[in-house]
Parts: sequence; C-alpha cells; structure tokens
Amino acid sequence: MAQSASSSQRGVCVMQQEDFKPGARTQMEWGFGGRRRWRDGALLMALFLGGIGAGQFVVSTWLIHSVESALVGLVVVGVGKTAAHLVYLGQPKRFYRLFLRPKTSWISRGLIFMVVFVAFGAAYLAPDIGFDWVPWETGSSLSDLLLAGAILSAFLVMVYDGFVLLSCKSITAWNTALMPPLFFTYAIAGGTAMTYLTLIAMGSEIPNQDTLTTIDSVLLVSLFALLVIYILNMTTSTATARESLRKLTTTKVAIAFVGVAIFAGLLVPLSLTLYHEVAATETVASVLLAVSSVLELSGDLSVRHSILRAGLHAPVFSEGL
Amino acid sequence: MLEVVRWGMVIDLKRCTGCHTCTVACKAEHHTPPGVFWAKVVRVESGKYPTVIRQAVPLLCMHCKEPECEKVCPTGATKKKADGTIIVDSKLCVGCRYCAVACPYGARCFTPEWKDYFTGEKKPSSQFAEYSKKKWLEESDRGVVSKCNFCEERVADGKKPACVNACPTEARTFGDLDDPESEVSQLIKKRRGMQLHPEYGTDACVYYLPAR
Repeated sequence: MAQSASSSQRGVCVMQQEDFKPGARTQMEWGFGGRRRWRDGALLMALFLGGIGAGQFVVSTWLIHSVESALVGLVVVGVGKTAAHLVYLGQPKRFYRLFLRPKTSWISRGLIFMVVFVAFGAAYLAPDIGFDWVPWETGSSLSDLLLAGAILSAFLVMVYDGFVLLSCKSITAWNTALMPPLFFTYAIAGGTAMTYLTLIAMGSEIPNQDTLTTIDSVLLVSLFALLVIYILNMTTSTATARESLRKLTTTKVAIAFVGVAIFAGLLVPLSLTLYHEVAATETVASVLLAVSSVLELSGDLSVRHSILRAGLHAPVFSEGL
Repeated sequence: MLEVVRWGMVIDLKRCTGCHTCTVACKAEHHTPPGVFWAKVVRVESGKYPTVIRQAVPLLCMHCKEPECEKVCPTGATKKKADGTIIVDSKLCVGCRYCAVACPYGARCFTPEWKDYFTGEKKPSSQFAEYSKKKWLEESDRGVVSKCNFCEERVADGKKPACVNACPTEARTFGDLDDPESEVSQLIKKRRGMQLHPEYGTDACVYYLPAR
C-alpha cells in the first residue's frame, strides 16, 4: 500500500517536472516509462509485434512457403498487435474511431493496413488451414492475388510506424527519413528470426536455409549500417538531437541501445549466423540459429524501446526571446 | 452576416513576472486534475554574461492555424472551430496520444485517472478539490487528452479567458487577429510580436512580445 502510494505520487511529480521544464522535454506518452509507466509499454509491444508478425508472414509465404509459420505471423499481428493497442488506449471501447482519418493520420492508415493485411492473409491461408469450402485453391490465380494483397499490406504494416514517428516535427530524433527504412528492415529481420524460431520449435526442416541465412546476414549488416548513419546524423543535427544521442549512449537507455540492440541484437547474431554454417552437428547448428534468432528479436524490441525513450521535444522557446 | 474572428493572444514578456496566477486561474476555471496544467509558466535564462536575463515564459495551447495535433488525430476528436480555436471533444477521443506527441508546444495533457494530491486513508481533500473532481468527471473523461480551449464558454459570454482576466501585470491581451485595428494586431505590429517555432509552419495564434 505504502509502495503504491509512493509510486502514485512519483507519477504526479514526473508530470510536473516535465511540464515546467525549460529545455528539451522527454516525450512521456509512448513506450515503457511513460506517464502510465508499464501500461504505456503496450504501444511499444504493438509496434514490435506488428513488425515481426508482418515480416514473418512475408518471409514464410514468399521465401519458404511455410503455411504454419505464415499463420503464426498472421496471429501475432491480428491478435498480439490488436490486443497491445487495446491495452494501450485510454478509451479502448472507442477503438473503432481510430480508423476514421486516413487522409491525414498515420495511425489511421497503419491500422487500416493492418486490417487489410489480416483479411488478405487469412483469406490466402484459408484453404491450407482447413477451410476448404472457400471458392479458391492454393496456387490458383485468385489465391496468388490474395497473396500479393497480403504481402503488399504486410509491407505497409512494417513501414507505417516509421512514418508515425517521422511525422512528429519537434522530436528531431524521430523526424528523420531514416525512420521508415530502419523500422522496415528491423521488421524483415525480426520476421526472419521468428520464422527460424517457429520452424525450430515445430521440429520442421528449414527450407531454403542457405538463402534465408544469407538474407538474414545482409539484413543484420544493413541494420548496423542504418544505425551508424542514424547516430552520425544526430551528431550533426540540432542540440535536441545531440541530447537524444547523449541519452541513447550515456544514460540508462544505453543499456538497451548499445548493449542489447547493437551488441547482443546485431553483432552477436551476425557472428552466430555465420558460425552456424560451420557447426559440427545439426543440433549445434539449430541451437546457434535459435540463440541468434532470440537475440535478434530482443535487439529489435530494444531498438524500438530506445528510440521511443530518446524522443525529446525541442525546447518550446529558443534563446533570445 | 456572421462576424468572422480569429482569436489570438499576445503575451508581453517584459511584463510577465512568473507569478503563476494564470496557472492557478486556469485550474480554478476548468477544474483540471492534479498534474494537468493547461496554462503554465517556465523560466528560462538567455543572453551572455554580463547581459543575462532570467525570463518567465507563459505557455498554453497556441491554437495554431495549421495545427499538427488536428492533422495527426485519427479519430477527429481534435477540431478547429470557425473562430480558430482548437478544441478536443472528450467524447470522441480514444487516448492514443498521437496529438500530445506531435504537438511541438507540449500543450496537451493526458489524464488516465484522477490522481489526488494526497494519498492514503485520511486525505486532506478540501471541498473545492471534491467539487473540482466531480466537475471534471462530468465535463471530461478519464483516459482522454485535454488542453486549453481559450475559455470558449467565457469568450462566448463576452468575457476574457481566465488567464487574461487574472493576470495581475496585464501581460496578456486577447483579441481578434484578423482585425488589423484590434489591440492584439496593433501590439504584434508595433512591438514585433513573435510566434514560437515558426519553422514548423503551424502559424501559432499566440504571440510573444520580446523581453528586451
């Protein structure tokens, strides 16, 4: 009781400190550690699950043709992302209103992409998961059309959160053209990792494993390059961006960004992915691949968390007023 | 014929002493919950030694002509009225807080629940605090975003907004920006009124007169 009272009062204090702070202000609305502390983390989970689920669907249907893995991806988006959004909202009963302004709002657009993706994805997988009464078969032209629609909308689900952040003009760490490609690449890499984990968990063989491993390695290298560009970009940007960078590299957030996202989530999986090819036995190779995938996913979550936490609004007034 | 106005405010930084009367007047007028401030005052230092000044800067919703918050709102809860005032319809808001993140001026507040100033069994809540809570819950809602509405109900009655009315130094002036003869337009013209962050293209309707 005493503990909850003190955390409740701390909540009020945090608000007041940020509201009356003259310099750059930390955004307190999205991600863990926001105004509602843990509950605001549901938005981070929604972005994460949307990315990896859509990525898994694309990798599973396009590259390895695994129905089970594609279904897992679809459920992650359709159930996981939806539930996370509902937990986050202040008024979840009015969730339907989120779809009403696609002309100007990226949140509306993203949620419409999500619904279209789930609808097309479910329709495409229907004949393979027992709904054989549907008037199309896998491999038919209609089925191919459904797959094309699902993949296209999956791409949009993967990229829209980057645009949501990009649209916030006063948060310099987000208002960069790097956000959409960064989130998209993370989604594909996360999707690849999820596909590996699903197939390993099911005990299935991984089809096209060499291609998949090569793609994964290329994605990890690309992500590393994108993060380096992101950091360099911030060093030469505004004072607020440099403050965000300081937050990313020298405060508590650095554990998530440098430690988990860059080291554990990129460099270690890259080494493991390359090493697993020369592993002595198949079991060792599978274990290495699973460890690498888990680390990649934790890196994906951490990078999203760090970027949300490093979001600082530029000071409301400039020097010399 | 309907008279078209665009409400705006001019804040004279030379006159503002940072007494927070506007903050209190706003809270008393709108019964905002603890931790929620539609009008606030921050203190900044500017200049270089030996000409450094410590300045109080009152902040509120800028009621932008091109509001970022209205653009990003996915539900249509944020609306721009014909007189330029930006309002939030709490019955339509879902509490996604995209507006709060997109607003460059930090003018929006989210209230997950009414949090009393004091916790524990014996709360020394005054009758006024209980009344405020009741009024707020009647007029607004939990889990939604709120912000300054330029005291639309007072302005409709021909009164000035509460912060303007209460300011002891008369640092705030409220009026029609579209009328070139109005006091606000004249102050902006004669004393080089400035908007905050014009680079975002929001065309704020709150102007600041320089402190020196």
